[in-house]
Amino acid sequence: MAGSAAGEAQCLSYTGCNFLRQRLVLATLSGRPLKIRKIRAKEEDPGLRDFEASFIRLIDKVTNGSRIEINQTGTTLYYQPGLLYGGSLEHDCSPSRGIGYYLESLLCLAPFMKHPLKIVLRGVTNDQVDPSVDVLKATALPLLKKFGIDGESLEIKINRRGMPPKGGGEILFSCPVRKVLQPVQFTDPGKIKRIRGTAYSVRVSPQMANRMVESARGILNKFLPDIYIYTDHMKGVNSGKSPGFGICLTAETINGTILSAELASNPQGQGTAVLPEELGQNCAKLLLEEVYRGGCVDSTNQSLALLLMTLGQRDVSKVLLGPLSPYTIEFLRHLRSFFQIMFKMETKTPEEEHMGGEKVLMTCVGIGFCNLSKTIR
Amino acid sequence: MEEKEKKKHRAKQSGPKAEKKRKRYLNELGIGDEENARKRNPKAFTVQSAVRMARTFHRTQDLKTKKHHIPVVDRTPLEPPPVVVVVVGPPKVGKSTVIKCLIKNFTRQKLVEIRGPVTIVSGKKRRLTIIECGCDINTMIDLAKVADLVLMLIDASFGFEMETFEFLNICQVHGFPKIMGVLTHLDTFKNNKQLKKTKKKLKHRFWTEVYPGAKLFYLSGMVHGEYQKQEIHNLGRFISVMKFRPLTWQTSHPYVLADRMEELTNPEDVRINPKCDRKISLYGYLRGAHLKNKSQIHMPGVGDFTVSDVSFLPDPCALPEQQKKRSLNEKEKLVYAPLSGVGGIVYDKDAVYIDLGGSHAHEKEEEEVRPNQELVQSLISTHSAIDVKMASSKVSLFLDSAPLGSEDVGQEFVMPKEERQVDLKTGRVRRKAVFEDDEKENDDVASDEEDDQEEEEEEEEAVSEDGSDGDDENDAEEESERVLLREGMAVRRAKRLKTEVPQEEAVNELPAFADSDDDLELSSEEEGETAPEDSEVEEDEEEEEEEGDVQRTCEDESSGSEFEAANKRAESKQCDMDSEHTETKPQISEHSPKRKAVLTTDSGNCTAEEASESEDENSSLEEGDDEGESHEELEAKESNRNGFQDSKAKKADSVKHTKVKTVDTEDDDDVENLLREEEEYEEKIDLSGDTTGALKWKEDLTQKAAEAFLRQQRSTPNLRKLVYGTAVEDEDQESEDADDELGGLFRVSRPDKASKQKANALDCSKFLVEKPQDWDLEEVMSSIRDCFVTGKWEDDKDAAKLLEEDEELYGDFEDLETGVVHKGKAAAGGEQSGSEEEEEEDEKMSKPEPEEEEKKKERMDKKRKLKEMFDAEYDEGDATYFDDLKEEMHKQAQLNRAEFEDQDDETRVQYEGFRPGMYVRIEIENVPCEFVLNFDPHYPIILGGLGNSEGNVGYVQLRLKKHRWYKKILKTRDPLILSLGWRRFQTIPMFYIEDHNGRHRLLKYTPQHMHCGAAFWGPITPQGTGFLAVQSVSGTTPDFRIAATGVVLDLDKSITIVKKLKLTGFPFKIFKNTCFIKGMFNSQLEVAKFEGAAIRSVSGIRGQIKKALRAPVGAFRATFEDKLLMSDIVFVRTWYPVSIPMFYNPVTSLLKPAGEKDSWSGMKTTGQLRYERGIKLKQNKDSLYKPIVREKRHFNKLHIPKALQKALPFKNKPKNLEKKGKTPKDQWRPAVIREPHEKKISALLSALSTVNNYKIKKAKVKHREQLKEYLKVKQKEDEQKFKRQKEAKKKVYRILGQREKKRQKSSLKGSSKGEKSM
Repeated sequence: MAGSAAGEAQCLSYTGCNFLRQRLVLATLSGRPLKIRKIRAKEEDPGLRDFEASFIRLIDKVTNGSRIEINQTGTTLYYQPGLLYGGSLEHDCSPSRGIGYYLESLLCLAPFMKHPLKIVLRGVTNDQVDPSVDVLKATALPLLKKFGIDGESLEIKINRRGMPPKGGGEILFSCPVRKVLQPVQFTDPGKIKRIRGTAYSVRVSPQMANRMVESARGILNKFLPDIYIYTDHMKGVNSGKSPGFGICLTAETINGTILSAELASNPQGQGTAVLPEELGQNCAKLLLEEVYRGGCVDSTNQSLALLLMTLGQRDVSKVLLGPLSPYTIEFLRHLRSFFQIMFKMETKTPEEEHMGGEKVLMTCVGIGFCNLSKTIR
Repeated sequence: MEEKEKKKHRAKQSGPKAEKKRKRYLNELGIGDEENARKRNPKAFTVQSAVRMARTFHRTQDLKTKKHHIPVVDRTPLEPPPVVVVVVGPPKVGKSTVIKCLIKNFTRQKLVEIRGPVTIVSGKKRRLTIIECGCDINTMIDLAKVADLVLMLIDASFGFEMETFEFLNICQVHGFPKIMGVLTHLDTFKNNKQLKKTKKKLKHRFWTEVYPGAKLFYLSGMVHGEYQKQEIHNLGRFISVMKFRPLTWQTSHPYVLADRMEELTNPEDVRINPKCDRKISLYGYLRGAHLKNKSQIHMPGVGDFTVSDVSFLPDPCALPEQQKKRSLNEKEKLVYAPLSGVGGIVYDKDAVYIDLGGSHAHEKEEEEVRPNQELVQSLISTHSAIDVKMASSKVSLFLDSAPLGSEDVGQEFVMPKEERQVDLKTGRVRRKAVFEDDEKENDDVASDEEDDQEEEEEEEEAVSEDGSDGDDENDAEEESERVLLREGMAVRRAKRLKTEVPQEEAVNELPAFADSDDDLELSSEEEGETAPEDSEVEEDEEEEEEEGDVQRTCEDESSGSEFEAANKRAESKQCDMDSEHTETKPQISEHSPKRKAVLTTDSGNCTAEEASESEDENSSLEEGDDEGESHEELEAKESNRNGFQDSKAKKADSVKHTKVKTVDTEDDDDVENLLREEEEYEEKIDLSGDTTGALKWKEDLTQKAAEAFLRQQRSTPNLRKLVYGTAVEDEDQESEDADDELGGLFRVSRPDKASKQKANALDCSKFLVEKPQDWDLEEVMSSIRDCFVTGKWEDDKDAAKLLEEDEELYGDFEDLETGVVHKGKAAAGGEQSGSEEEEEEDEKMSKPEPEEEEKKKERMDKKRKLKEMFDAEYDEGDATYFDDLKEEMHKQAQLNRAEFEDQDDETRVQYEGFRPGMYVRIEIENVPCEFVLNFDPHYPIILGGLGNSEGNVGYVQLRLKKHRWYKKILKTRDPLILSLGWRRFQTIPMFYIEDHNGRHRLLKYTPQHMHCGAAFWGPITPQGTGFLAVQSVSGTTPDFRIAATGVVLDLDKSITIVKKLKLTGFPFKIFKNTCFIKGMFNSQLEVAKFEGAAIRSVSGIRGQIKKALRAPVGAFRATFEDKLLMSDIVFVRTWYPVSIPMFYNPVTSLLKPAGEKDSWSGMKTTGQLRYERGIKLKQNKDSLYKPIVREKRHFNKLHIPKALQKALPFKNKPKNLEKKGKTPKDQWRPAVIREPHEKKISALLSALSTVNNYKIKKAKVKHREQLKEYLKVKQKEDEQKFKRQKEAKKKVYRILGQREKKRQKSSLKGSSKGEKSM
């Protein structure tokens, strides 16, 4: 009598564990139940992995009233979302994936909590697979600010750095709560005025960082003189449990667009040792590659930008992107199935030759999302 | 003499003329011009007080800012939907009359009966949807949510009624639409003064309720059953120029006020189970926000549904094309009310119906046209009145679509044959409504069919008779009856007809036959007299035909022409045709009694598409190139012709898959993978369809499509296809190309070899670079050279260029003093920096002048630029924050409008959703059968769109206040019906109040005059939404029905409301301040939980729980601030969380049978149940009040220990102040009595002493004064003496000093003297 009377939104069903995060995040935001079947059903080791389980636990932590059902083998997941709750939390992320894996989804959810989110995440801050915390700090936060999510409390603080395989890093992410988002018109990326970056090294010689910086500068100096790459060498308890080093670079334009690239050394005991010079050079080239792709949002945050556009008021939002990443393409499909929203996509070839590759102008009308969790007084 | 008698001219002392003269006179004097008083008397306007000035300034600013509303983006579409005008009022106040008059005023048409909304074109830019609101509170609530304008009818002869106030309060809660009052029944006032008084009284009351100055209309009297034309005209004018404010709820949710309903259920399903869930389609203008396909909607009174399909149709009541005329012509004054049987042309997704009104309607119009025939008409009509009335009484029952009580329905469906036997006429009608479709499909019910056919033939015969006779009124009447009878069914049937017709493959499925009887009648009438309506209808038909043509892209021309021809034939001689058709296809003629279905050959295609999955639809819509589209259609047709009609959806899928397969064979592995991936996402596992026949031609198709694609450049739709995945073959090729050519945009990450792996691949958002370019090469580097600030800039941003332009602007000037002209550099000048140039410019002298024209042009350019800059500076400078915000919103609104303007509706709908103003058809599945069976057009059907997760349920917290006019207070845990968002539902609220420490404490009842919190389990609705509560929606009470109002504060999935719980215990052993207490807890564990808790005795002694005791169980040790008595009761105050009952019961009033729709009753309160069943509440004896008897309090004596007494100081020692006993009489002292002489002596003595005393006193005073005087004198003397002494001393000292000096001098001399002397 009680719950069944109200029309529960129809359940969406998917197969496979890929894009699990997107699906859970969108299900939470849209309030629609979700069923994922055949998670690694054919593999030797079927079912959810530890990092996925950890992610699901995190989702459970930030929401109130979610129902999560996983079958015996872990190959089927049913998720009925609750309301986003937030508050002060702590979470131990699985060291098999970086904190970025978790943080990316939290960035999507955090503005729509009941209480401002203030969460301590522990695990691997920088690895080779996921966008590192440094990159997210440098790119995602300015992006959130463009949508009207700003304030003092919006910050990512890296307390400890942890490298794979053992991790031991710790960050603090806090985000204020918003009721509605602003529409954006973000079609002109502008020209790159400066390049910044961080070269970090933990439990290795501090010289590694300097060597990376030197080599990266060597390549980037051909384009721009305004380059400053910080070296960050953490010691003692702040340096995590495994040795490693890496570099992340960001290019900022006059219009506030931030493009990024990063590379990290191979984890201890896996693969061959990497020379820091090589790493620096490769990262600089990656950054140039990213510049070539261009757009107003870097390739890692495309989906975040598109999500925030979708969740805007019923107004037209526009954003110019570089080529869509496969992750983004999938995200667009998911946006359509969860929110019935389609983006208008126009390819734009830059008029002049020397402005990189083709771009895509994404246009959509927001769905008029409002934060149902926020309390009014 | 006569001249003298003439009246002398008197100058006007007042009035406009005098005023003018006075002004002129004053002006001549130079002191006129009252506005110039400031100039004349500046002193009077100087600042008197700065403080007051500041205050007045503040106040004016306050008032100014008070007028501001927070600017919102104007999201009204270019072609707005019709304005919803709700006519509301108590019964018998004249609502329908007002509506009829308004419709007549706008459209010159007279509607007989109004059911459901009526849409009319009221002006060049405005349409109105007028709907009547009954007194059922359900209807009132629903309509208040969708109303733009409310016409509030008030019976002036009676005054305000509760309904009016209730509606006003409903409006207030759900966003306040515009409200206009209309006073009717003013002709009942005979006394003019009384009338005036009433008007004034009512006006002021109305103003207090709405807002001061709200518009109130007076409809003074009736003329021939209608209101006065001029008054209605004025009312209409006001309505059509009214402006509306956007209401939050309405602008943030899409909604449709449905004006048409069709049932689409598969008749077979209905036959098998008459109570099966139905599939219906609803039509109406979309209002509010954009509606997305597959979104959730709520139908108030029915429930929540998911839209299974939405499509937009051509506007049935379109605004006129842009013209320069001032007024509408007759053709443009459209009226559309399908529920009332007025609509002209009715478009459907794949069919078009022409409404010919039914013969009754024409009769009425005839009357209207020829009022002089009224008598004859009435005579005729009375002639056949008995039959008609008999029939129509039943008929009208049916039209309301509730002829069948629920039991009847059941009977009917279970035993149709018996039903038929009961009453021939009604049986026939009913059976038709129910079994029409069965007949087609089930041949085994042959007998029924035969009967039907016979009847049909009879009908047709009658028709033919009509046609031949032309003016046989009786028959015509009968016929019209039948038409009317079928009207109700037509609503339900129309859709079925549409779905079934395509199955008939014959070419001669001409659409005109079904309605032939009507046509016939028309023609017969036309013979007699000119009926404008008829001609209009005909025109409409033609128009509609044309539009139908346009609508279909590949309409068969031949069929169209055929149709036209058929139409003509139908008009000229239809008897033959009809008979033919009845013979060939009786079922079709039976289906469309009222409407003609314009069906083309490709309608089959449409249905196939409809049946296929949404992706397929999308593909067909999105297909940019015609080829692709034609393929699709071909496919569909092919499948149709092949005769696989049972599983169309499957077919469509399989078609796609075969396509896919062909591509597989051709293309490489990658493509295959991609395709598989696509399949994964579309989740089409259904591969059962067999389409081997279709394979061959499809191979070609794919190739062709690929070629066509190659010809096309990479364009947007392809990227869209890539993402949203429809045209598979296009996409992969395209991506390949991109890879080869650019290596940038379309580099799709190759999925793994098997799609299964892809589904379980690594979930990572990074976009890895697959083919890194060699950034050491110069050309590669140059490809991004301009992305940096060091690269080349665009012209409009290049600093150097801008400077140059500035130079042009400001560079040249003329030195006025010297007359030297300084010239700026030409545009092509060098790239020096500004400052240098300026210096150079100064040095430069004027060049020889170039051509005259060029110069002029330049000057103009400069002027323009300067003006722009000036504007920018000054407009910006003045702008406030508010203006900026407004400007921003305005810009956004413009962008919203412009963004998708150039796209066609099909594409636009996909991006934006269906935009408000469109006429949409919404398909809904799984609707309860009662909705269809008990359909009553008098009750509004609203489809309210729900936002994200608004379809879910959870705990909702509200701020609630009992309505001040509601007589009772509300009790916690009593079921209450809430109207919140679109919904009406019954739930069990719990009232609470928030304590100062944030605790939510349960209340048993709502406070009388205060807000309190309420929490219930129900639908999630955005915060800030208003709601109202009623205790019951059934029946009527004289009292005010709205129990409470409020607003949603918070939504959550868990809630903590607590109530106070006092646990009591009794001391069983008392030490000094410690005692053992039992009876409070039941175990040591419980005690442990409460260790340290504060406890208190009833007498107010505070204490604390210390520790549990071994025995007795649950006893504990506690300490108090004082010693307890054994008679004390000890208690601990705790808070116990209350669970909120998960009860949510939507009010399904529309599912009730006709006539009982206002009698929905949900859960009863315990009070009601007790009352109904006569159960008396057993009262707790202890709770009863008894007279209080207070014994007199007796206090013991204060006892102070002796030791203490000793220690006390004497002051505080208790004194032994025992009263002395009475002195015995013998110890009494005798009184002295004086002799007279002695008396005299003593009197004299006392007198003397008095005198003496006085003297002494006087002397004392005198002496004191003397002393004072003396002291004064003495002081003076002393002062003088002191002075003198001082002077004397001074003298002495001076002398002494002099002497000293001398001595010193002399001593100096003396020494020398001495030395000399010595």
